[in-house]
Amino acid sequence: MSAKTETISVANHRTKVIHGFIYAFLILLAIIYLLPLAWVVITSLKDDAVLMISPWELPARPMFENYSFAWTMGHLGTATLNSFIVCSITLLFSMIFGAMAAFAIARMRWKLSKLVLTYFMIGMMIPVHCVLIPLFVQFSSLKLSNTLIGIIIPYITFSLPITIYIMAGFFEGIPDELFESACIDGCSVYRMFTTVGIPLAKTGFMVTGLMSFVGNWNELLLAMVFISKEAKKTLPVSLTKFVGPYHTNYCQMFAAIVIAVIPTIIVYCVFANQIVEGLTAGAVKG
Amino acid sequence: MDKLLRNKKAIIMFIAPAFILFTLVLLIPICKAVYYSFCNYKTLHPIKFTGVDNYVKLFTKDRAMRAALKNSIFFMVFSIITQFIMGLFLAALLTNIRAGRNLFKNIYYLPCVLSSAALGLLWMFIFTPKLGINQMMASFGWIADCTEGPQWLFNTEGFIILPIIVISFVALWQYVGQSMMLYMAQISGISSDIYEAAAIDGCTKSQAFFKITLPLIRPMIATAMSLNAIGSLKFFDLVYNMIPEGFLGDKAHVLATHMYTQAFKFNKLGYGCAIGVVLLVMCLVVTLLINKFVKVESYT
Repeated sequence: MSAKTETISVANHRTKVIHGFIYAFLILLAIIYLLPLAWVVITSLKDDAVLMISPWELPARPMFENYSFAWTMGHLGTATLNSFIVCSITLLFSMIFGAMAAFAIARMRWKLSKLVLTYFMIGMMIPVHCVLIPLFVQFSSLKLSNTLIGIIIPYITFSLPITIYIMAGFFEGIPDELFESACIDGCSVYRMFTTVGIPLAKTGFMVTGLMSFVGNWNELLLAMVFISKEAKKTLPVSLTKFVGPYHTNYCQMFAAIVIAVIPTIIVYCVFANQIVEGLTAGAVKG
Repeated sequence: MDKLLRNKKAIIMFIAPAFILFTLVLLIPICKAVYYSFCNYKTLHPIKFTGVDNYVKLFTKDRAMRAALKNSIFFMVFSIITQFIMGLFLAALLTNIRAGRNLFKNIYYLPCVLSSAALGLLWMFIFTPKLGINQMMASFGWIADCTEGPQWLFNTEGFIILPIIVISFVALWQYVGQSMMLYMAQISGISSDIYEAAAIDGCTKSQAFFKITLPLIRPMIATAMSLNAIGSLKFFDLVYNMIPEGFLGDKAHVLATHMYTQAFKFNKLGYGCAIGVVLLVMCLVVTLLINKFVKVESYT
């Protein structure tokens, strides 16, 4: 009896030690993740001269001028506004179009639905890069380059596959009975979509909306190619101006970085769980 | 009900907007890109069909392309292997602890949602020779002076140059959360009955991991690996922002930056398209290979 309790306590002790190691490792890693981000914020409040001498200390007097400089002279104010316009319009249309297509694929009965779904899913595997040049040529001749609408259209298209995939899953999960009773009450198929489908797939809209917002907010390559006018640039494009080893003011660059990442950090803190759900739902497709 | 759901007009109404957009913005441009890649097409010049000239030039004469291919393939292999190991390791650790699991998970995933353009600037600064890492190493006394430390982003020696290795580690830092999250989702879906039954049969924790967890998450390994592969082949933001343009010459190109430079700096649109097509083909081939060899069978 006593021998048995002894082995158990030894085993317990061992698990405790192992858990201690695991937590130490996880905390160390968390520091590696958070330290650079915290450091950006601290540095963005410093002066370049101070930064060169003591890069790791807290600033004696926070310099909020860096922010106002980046916001006005660095054109980040306009860029933030542009990003917001682009992302919101993209969000709205990709959700409407995506939900409509997903409803037809998941709920309506027709022979080609599987094929059409596959067609949309191919979009997930195609990198933007290979359609970039033909699109650019096409949009230039349509006078769509250097306009926000010119990047909104491709953004909507590239947000569609994941939206359709996730929304189709949500529509499939709605019990048949609900649609049947709506049908008996004399609903048309369009009213079924708006009054039964959409309200019951609210979570799906959350998830896809967040995914498309975060993705488009960070998109650089397409925006950089399509937009060269200062007044139309989105945030990531404006940031590239700060690139260069001999750029004169690092602290302003850091203020710009903070401005660029703050919105996504806020969105992430509020909706972390939905984003995670969307990511996994999108990838489990196999 | 059935009649209602077979309404052809409604189906077309629902599908049409997405379908038309998809065809106009994705399908037709891809066909065009393939066509352009066989042409000598420069901005403001007429298109001239030249057959496989672009590809011949790409693979035989273009030194930048060789560097780009080498770097991109390095990125891909590196990220597939390291993200698999690190992602799975973190997922295994996090599923084994109770307190703080969500907190750690959210911290590790955070960089994935941040703009890699912004993070690229941050890391570029940290690896600047006179500042950042080197200054820290100097203050610990590891190196005598910060200028003597490694030239992280400017060293062009070796088969795989140092900047590329540095960037691949930054990419690992940024994106490992995604792999971790995918594995965690799959692991938490495994029924605890299986583990209990194994424990009764005298199975240790590490045995359980290799004999139960690993085979059961195999489909997800394939998915995560192909996502990694495609993502690292498409790599653009970090490289573009961490290595100043033209600073290291041709050596620091990846496929995406090479394509960007050729098409939009030198206006060789046809040539750029050829690089784009190579990229697309590589993405498809790698995805097929991974799915063929990793996702052998599904147990569920």
